[in-house]
Amino acid sequence: MSLHDMNPTIKFATFTLIMFGLALFYNPWTPLIIIVGTLMIQLMATDVSWKKWSLFTIPFLITALGTFWTTLVFGKDLGGETWVSILGQSISKQEFAVAVSLSMRVLAFTVLSLLFMLTTDSKRFVMSLMQQARLSPTIAYSALVGFRFLPLMQQELHQLQYAHRLRGVPLNTRWERIRHVPKLLLPLLAGSIRRAERIAFSMEARGFTGGKRTVYERIDIKPTDYVWSCVFFLLFGLSIWAGI
Amino acid sequence: MLKSWKLKEVVLVSVLSVVFAVVYLLFVHIGNLWAGLIGPIAYEWIFGIWFIVSIIAAYIIRKPGAAFISEVMAATIEMLIGNAIGPRIILVGIVQGLGAEAVFAMTGYRRYELWVLMLAGFGSAVTSFVYTYFMSGFAMLEPGYVATMFGLRTVSGMVIAGIGGKLLSDLLLKTGALRGYAISRSGHVHG
Repeated sequence: MSLHDMNPTIKFATFTLIMFGLALFYNPWTPLIIIVGTLMIQLMATDVSWKKWSLFTIPFLITALGTFWTTLVFGKDLGGETWVSILGQSISKQEFAVAVSLSMRVLAFTVLSLLFMLTTDSKRFVMSLMQQARLSPTIAYSALVGFRFLPLMQQELHQLQYAHRLRGVPLNTRWERIRHVPKLLLPLLAGSIRRAERIAFSMEARGFTGGKRTVYERIDIKPTDYVWSCVFFLLFGLSIWAGI
Repeated sequence: MLKSWKLKEVVLVSVLSVVFAVVYLLFVHIGNLWAGLIGPIAYEWIFGIWFIVSIIAAYIIRKPGAAFISEVMAATIEMLIGNAIGPRIILVGIVQGLGAEAVFAMTGYRRYELWVLMLAGFGSAVTSFVYTYFMSGFAMLEPGYVATMFGLRTVSGMVIAGIGGKLLSDLLLKTGALRGYAISRSGHVHG
């Protein structure tokens, strides 16, 4: 019963609802319980690489820190007794709790999002949206085409770099290459647009229509999907209770 | 909504979405670095970047849904290629796309002058700010500070997305790659 097999649409709906729910709470305990619970689920029911997970988390630790001190300094005056004072600002216990809560919320969102991202296959997600959420097949397949474009674009970017270097643009150091990327955006876009047109024509030539279709890979909703959904909502319930 | 669309237009939107998903993701990281230092206000003045695909797609294709679909698709692809904001980013895309789409709908999808595009950037800024206000708990910040953030975001939406989106599309038009799309039939080819 790995989380990797959970129906992507149900997973998406569950996580999104919980994140919206989280936005209603301003105490530190609710997001904290979500963080701990989600990490426990991640530990027990997935084989997510923790190294990868840590790398993705780092930028959001920075964001959480920024949110923390912004709320302290620019937070609404909630009254109450002065608890500590920083840079001439008096901060009450309640104000401190809100700052902790908002930065925890950033982390709770991050933990949930990463769990979704690292346990969901892109193609299955799009296919599931088409089969369960009535996403138009035209959009679904076009999105997958676009997704498959990424490696091609990388290739084209290198080609453009070579072409520009031939004409004398200095592109030897990494920094020079990075700084030159904005200048490559236009030819890259123009090339991609031309290729998109060709791909659309060949899709039509192969008989693609946006109408009713059968699929090779069927993605169903299984009873375990509901069980998983319940597990997450129970966790959310627990976190609300802990916050009272 | 898609009935009037040709397949090549849908594929074009998805290709634009992919390119800008990469750009969006780069700017998320730039914003993140800033945000650690100066707080969430770091994102505000570059926020227009995240609306630009709506404006470009609508300006090129000129059909109902272009602004909305492109933004949602860009957000989805951004998530798939590794934005740790995760599934929430799709909602952000929906909210931002609706803002721009509403403006184009108000003109009856007939007018694509600079002021309309700027207004569309403004529209995305407004809807996305409402969303951030709720999700990030801005109710707990000083109203003056929140107002500054809102002001920065709307200006950014109008300048970066509105003016920037038009400039980029006009440059693309000059390369000839957009022959066969509504923008090249609009009659006022510059330069």
